[in-house]
Amino acid sequence: MTGSDPIPVTLTVNGRTYRVFAEPRRLLSDVLREDCCLTGTHVGCEHGVCGACTILFDGAPARACLLYAVQAQGHAITTIEAFAANGELSVVQQALHEEHGLQCGFCTPGIVVTMEAWLDRHPDPTEAEIREALSGNLCRCTGYHNIVAAVMKAAARRRTEVVR
Amino acid sequence: MTQARTIGAALPRKEDFRFVTGQGRYLDDIAIPNCLHAHFVRSPHAHARIVAIDCEAARAAEGVVAVVTGRELAEWTTPLRMAPPIEGLQPTEFPTLPFDKVRFVGDPVACIVAIDRYLAEDAAELIEVAYEALEPVVDLERALARDAPLVDDNLSSNLVAHQSFSAGDPGRRFAEAEIVVTAEFRQPRQTHAPIETRGCCALWDGGRRHLTMHVGNQVPHPFRTQLARRLRLTESQVTVICPDIGGAFGQKIALYREELTVAALARQLGRPVRWREDRAENLIAASHAREDVARTRAAVDGDGRILALELEIAEDFGAYCFYPANYLARVVGMILTGPYRINDYAFDIKVALTNKCGNGPMRAPMAITSWVMEGTIEAIARRLGRDPIEVRRLNMLQAADLPFTMPSGLVVEDVTPRETMEAALRIFDVAAFRERQARDRTHGIHRGFGLCCVVESTTYGSAFYKAAGIPGSGHESGWVKIEPSGAVNASVGLMASGQGYETTFAQVVAEPLGVDPANVQIHLGNTDTAPYGMGSRGARGGTAGGSVLLLAAQALRDKVLIIAAALLGLNSSGELRLRGGRVERRLGGEWHAAGPSLADIAHIAYLDPLRLPPGLEPGLEAHRAYDPPPITFSNATHLCEVRLDVATGHVAVERYLVVEDCGTVYNPAIVRGQQQGAIAMGISGVLLEEVIYDETGQNRSGSFADYLLATAVEIPPIEVVSQHTPSRHTPTGSKGMSEGGVMGAIGALPSAVNDALAPFGVIVERQPLSPMYLRELLRGPGREKNCLD
Amino acid sequence: MKPARFSYEAPTSLDAALKSLATWRGDAKIIAGGQSLAPMLNMRLARPDHLIDINGLADLGRVAVDDDNRLSIGALVRHHQLGHHELVAQHCPMFAHAAETIGHYAIRQRGTIGGSLAHADPAAQLPLAALTLDAELELRTATARRTVMADAFFVSIFTTAIEPDELLVAVRLPRRKPREGWGFRLFNRRAGDFSIVSVAATVARGEGAAIERLRLAIGGIGPVPVRAEHLVPAELVTALTEDWPARVAAAVAATVEIEDNERTPVVFRRELVESLTRDALDEALERAR
Repeated sequence: MTGSDPIPVTLTVNGRTYRVFAEPRRLLSDVLREDCCLTGTHVGCEHGVCGACTILFDGAPARACLLYAVQAQGHAITTIEAFAANGELSVVQQALHEEHGLQCGFCTPGIVVTMEAWLDRHPDPTEAEIREALSGNLCRCTGYHNIVAAVMKAAARRRTEVVR
Repeated sequence: MTQARTIGAALPRKEDFRFVTGQGRYLDDIAIPNCLHAHFVRSPHAHARIVAIDCEAARAAEGVVAVVTGRELAEWTTPLRMAPPIEGLQPTEFPTLPFDKVRFVGDPVACIVAIDRYLAEDAAELIEVAYEALEPVVDLERALARDAPLVDDNLSSNLVAHQSFSAGDPGRRFAEAEIVVTAEFRQPRQTHAPIETRGCCALWDGGRRHLTMHVGNQVPHPFRTQLARRLRLTESQVTVICPDIGGAFGQKIALYREELTVAALARQLGRPVRWREDRAENLIAASHAREDVARTRAAVDGDGRILALELEIAEDFGAYCFYPANYLARVVGMILTGPYRINDYAFDIKVALTNKCGNGPMRAPMAITSWVMEGTIEAIARRLGRDPIEVRRLNMLQAADLPFTMPSGLVVEDVTPRETMEAALRIFDVAAFRERQARDRTHGIHRGFGLCCVVESTTYGSAFYKAAGIPGSGHESGWVKIEPSGAVNASVGLMASGQGYETTFAQVVAEPLGVDPANVQIHLGNTDTAPYGMGSRGARGGTAGGSVLLLAAQALRDKVLIIAAALLGLNSSGELRLRGGRVERRLGGEWHAAGPSLADIAHIAYLDPLRLPPGLEPGLEAHRAYDPPPITFSNATHLCEVRLDVATGHVAVERYLVVEDCGTVYNPAIVRGQQQGAIAMGISGVLLEEVIYDETGQNRSGSFADYLLATAVEIPPIEVVSQHTPSRHTPTGSKGMSEGGVMGAIGALPSAVNDALAPFGVIVERQPLSPMYLRELLRGPGREKNCLD
Repeated sequence: MKPARFSYEAPTSLDAALKSLATWRGDAKIIAGGQSLAPMLNMRLARPDHLIDINGLADLGRVAVDDDNRLSIGALVRHHQLGHHELVAQHCPMFAHAAETIGHYAIRQRGTIGGSLAHADPAAQLPLAALTLDAELELRTATARRTVMADAFFVSIFTTAIEPDELLVAVRLPRRKPREGWGFRLFNRRAGDFSIVSVAATVARGEGAAIERLRLAIGGIGPVPVRAEHLVPAELVTALTEDWPARVAAAVAATVEIEDNERTPVVFRRELVESLTRDALDEALERAR
C-alpha cells in the first residue's frame, strides 16, 4: 500500500513510454497535459459529461477526467496526438475540415478520438446512430449539423479505403 | 491558385489544422515557468455580512505562497464604477473582492495562490469565514417590493434601472382601439457555458514594470484599458495576449474580478500567477443572462392591423453590474417592432438587482425580442380567429416601406423580412404539413409548425451609443502590410473564439490585392501588434472588421498600382489591377500580365525606395479605422416542426429551416455554421437550459448534470437557405448575423409548440418548454390528470 | 475540481482486495469503472482515505451460465459488454437493453454492473432491472460470502446492504422463461441522462389469457426502485383482459407512493408511471408471443 504522496507512474501514451511522478489523486487529464505535455486533450468539466477530455483506454473511448493517472499503468492510452500521422490528417479529421465541423475547436479532439474508435466498430452508420454516438460530446459552437455530415463522409471514405 | 473573387468563396478554414490535430493553443496549453496557481474561496451564502476571514491555517498549508482577501486587493486595485450618464440608471460601484458582504452564492471572498491547483483547493478548506446570514432576494417580485432587503447597500432600492420611452401617440390609439390583445413571455435565467471555462495568466516584469496578461477575451483592447486603469498602470505598461479561445458567446468580455485579482497578485508576488475556472465556478459565478419577463399590449383593428404596441419588460440582473444594467433590456425595447409597420409605441424597462450571479450579454442579449413580437402577432391572430401568417403579411414592412424609421428612431433598410418569410413558407410546404398534422392527430400524434421572423440588430456604430447615452465607440481598426517578399499580414482589433476570422478576413484582404487567401496571415489578439478596436461582440466582427480590412487593403492596392503605373511609365493606374500576385493591364478591353509582380513592387517599396514615384513613402502598410452606421440590420425567417408527446410533455424538433439574408457574405460555409450554432444554442435554451436558484438563494445548477445543454440527439439537422441583399451603407455590403439564430429559435419553438397544443386550448408563456411545464398546461388547473392521449 | 488526497492500490487478486477492505473498511472506496465515483471524488463529495482499484481482477469480468442454471455476471462486466454479450441477450435481454440506455458510448466502455448496483442511484437502470428480475447479489469478505436478494439489497438512496468490509463480486439472474416477455421504458429529457421515471416489467404467459407471472417495478419515485405487483388488482395479475396494459398502468399509477422532489412534481411523475407502465407492458406482451 502506498500513501497519498507522489509515486512513480509509468504511462504508455501513443506507443511511447512516459515516466512521471504523480500523487494517486492526480487526474489522467492533468498528467497527460502537464507531465506528458500532450495538451490536445482538453478539460471542460472534470465530471465526465462534456466529453472534451475523451481519450482511448486500451482502444476504447474513456473520459480522462474520470481516470487517475495511476490507474493507467499497464494500459495503452491513445490521445488526439496519435491521429494525424506525419502531419497528414486522418479520415475523420479531414472530413471535419471539409465539412466545417468545428469552430472554436475545443471539443474537437474529444470528438475525433470518440468517432475514430466508434467508426472502427460501426463502419456503416445511419445519421441517427451517429447522433446517438455523438451525444456524449458537447459542442456549443456548431449545432452538430456539420459534425454529423463529417462523420457520415468519413464513414463512407473509410469503407472505400483499401488499406488503412 | 487564385480566384478572381475570394469574397464569397466557401473556402475551408485555414485555422482548422491546429484544431483538428489537437495543436490549438488555448490558455492552459501555454506553459509558463515558475507559475503559481490561484484558486478562489467563494461564499456559500446568497446574502451575508462578512464578519471575519481567518487565513492563518491556509497560509501555513503545504505549497501555499499567499492568501489575500478584499482588503488587500482594495489597496492594489480600484473599484469598478459603472456610472454611465444614462437617465434612469443608478450608478454602482464595487470593490475587486467584497469585504463587507457577499451578494450571491459563489461570490469570491479570498484568493489562495499555491504551487498547484490541488494544493490550493486543499488550502481553501482551511480558510474560515465567519458570515452573518442576511435575508436573500431571489426573485424579481421580491426585489421590487418596498420592504425588500437591499442587494447593494449604496443604492436606494434594488431597482437599478428604470426607463420609459414613447413615440407617436400610443395612449390615443389604445383609447380608440376596438380590440386590445395582451401577451406574456418569461425567459429563464441562463448561462453561456462555453466548453472552455474562464482563465488567465498574468506575468509582471519587475524590471520593465510591465504586465503581460494571457487571457481568452473577446475585446483585447478595451480589456487592456480597463486592466491598466484598475491596477493604476498606464496602458503602455500592459499587454494583453489572447490565445485560442474555446468559445465565448459574450461571457469573455468584461474584466472580471478574478482576472483582476490574478493580475494584482502577479505584480505583488513578482511571480507569474495563473487561474483556471472549474465548471462549477463557471456555471455558478461567471456570468448569467436573460431571466426577464415581457408583457405586451397591442391595439389592433378588426383585421389584425397593429395600431399601437406597448412593452413592459423586467429583468433580474443578479447582484453585480459588470455592464450598465439597462443595456440588454434597452436593446429589446428599441428593436421590438422589428419587421412590422408600427409607429405608435411605448416601452417601460425595469431592471432589478437580486442575490444571484450578475448578468452579462449572452449571444443575442436581445434574444427575447422575436419571441415577444411574433408571440404578440400570434396572440392577435388567435384572438381574431385569423391565420397568423396573414396577420404578419398585413403588418409587415414591404420593400416600398424602406427605409423605415422605427418608433425608437433606428432606421431599417436593405432588409427582406417579407421575402424571406414567403421563401421559407414555400420551401417548407405548409399545406402539406397541415395535411400530415391533421392525419397524425387522429392517431394521437401531435405535430406543430412554428414561425419566427427575425430582424437582428448588429454592428452598433458610435452614433448608436451616443444616442443611447452609452459611453464608448463602435469603430473598428485594421492594418494591412505587404512585406518585402510580397507576403501579406493583416490585423484587426477583434478576437476570434470560433468565427473563422483567419479565413474570412484573409479572403477579404486577398481580393483587392489579387493574392491567394492562403498567403494572407491574419493576426489577432495581441494588444501590442493589433490596432485598437472594440473587439468581437454584437455580431460586429464581419461588418466592422471585414469592412475596415477591406478599406485598408484597398488603400494598399491603390498605392501598389500607383507604383506599378510609375514603373510601367503610365500616367495613371486606372487600367491596372492585381491578380494572382501580379499586375495586370487592360489593353483593348482585355487584361494582360503587365510585368511587375506584387513581390517586385514590395521589394522596391521597402528596399529600393528611390525608385518610388515622388511623394510616396517607403513601405507598404495601410492603417484604417471605420465607424459603421449606428445599426445594421439583417433578417431571417425561421421555421420548425416539432412533435409533442402529450403523454409526457416531451418536445422533439423534427425539422428546422432558416431562410436568412445577411447581405454580402464573405464565406457561405462559415455563415451557415454561425446560423446553425446560434440556432442550436437557441433550441438548447428553449428546451433545456435554466439556472435554478432555490428559495434560500442556493444555485441548484452547478454541474452539467443539472444545467443541461442540448446534445446531437436533441438538435435536428438545420437547413440554411441564404438570400443576399447587401447593405448600401457598409463597404463590403455585409451585415452582421451571428446572433439572429438564437432569436429565431427562441421564437420558432414556442410558436410550434403552441401550434401542436392548439386542440387543447392552451399556450406556452414561459421557457424552458420542459416536459413538466407542458404537462402542467395539458393537465389544466386543478386536475390530477388529463389529456393523456 | 480536484479530489482530496487518497492513497491507492490496485490488488491483483480478489483475496488481496478483500484483505485490504477488511483493514480499511469504511475509510476506503472501491473504484471500478469510476463513472459515478470519480465525479464525486473530483467534487470532493466523497473523500475516502484510500482507493482500492479492482479493475485488475479479471475473474470478476466474466459472464456465464452457472451450475444452477442462472446467468452469472461478474461485477466488473462493463455496460457495453452487458449490452452486447450473447448470453445476456439470450437469457436476460432486459438487462442488455437496460445497459445500452446508460449514459453515452464512452461511459458504457468503463462503467460496470457492480459499480452501478453498489452506487444505487435511485434513477439508475441496472438496479431497477436487477430488482425486477429477482437478482441475487453475491457479496464476499476476506472470510465469508453471502447472497442478498435484490429487494433486500437496495436500502436507500446511494445506500445498499453492502457492509464496509464486503465486495459485490457477482450478480445472478434467473434465465428467461419461455413465453416470458419483457419491457423496459424510461423517460429523460436528453439522450443518456438519468431517467426521471423508469419502469421494468416481465409477463410470462400461460394458456390462453392466463398470466403465469407478472413482475413490475418502478424507478425514480423514491430512494430505491420499488416493486409494484402488489398494486395490481388481483384479477389483472392472473389474466389478460381487454386493454390490460392500460388498466394495470392506471391502477398502479393511482396508488403507488411517490416521494416529493423539487425538480419534478409528484403529479408529473405519476403520469409518467402510468404511461411508461402501459408502454412497458405493451412491449412485454409483444415479446411474450
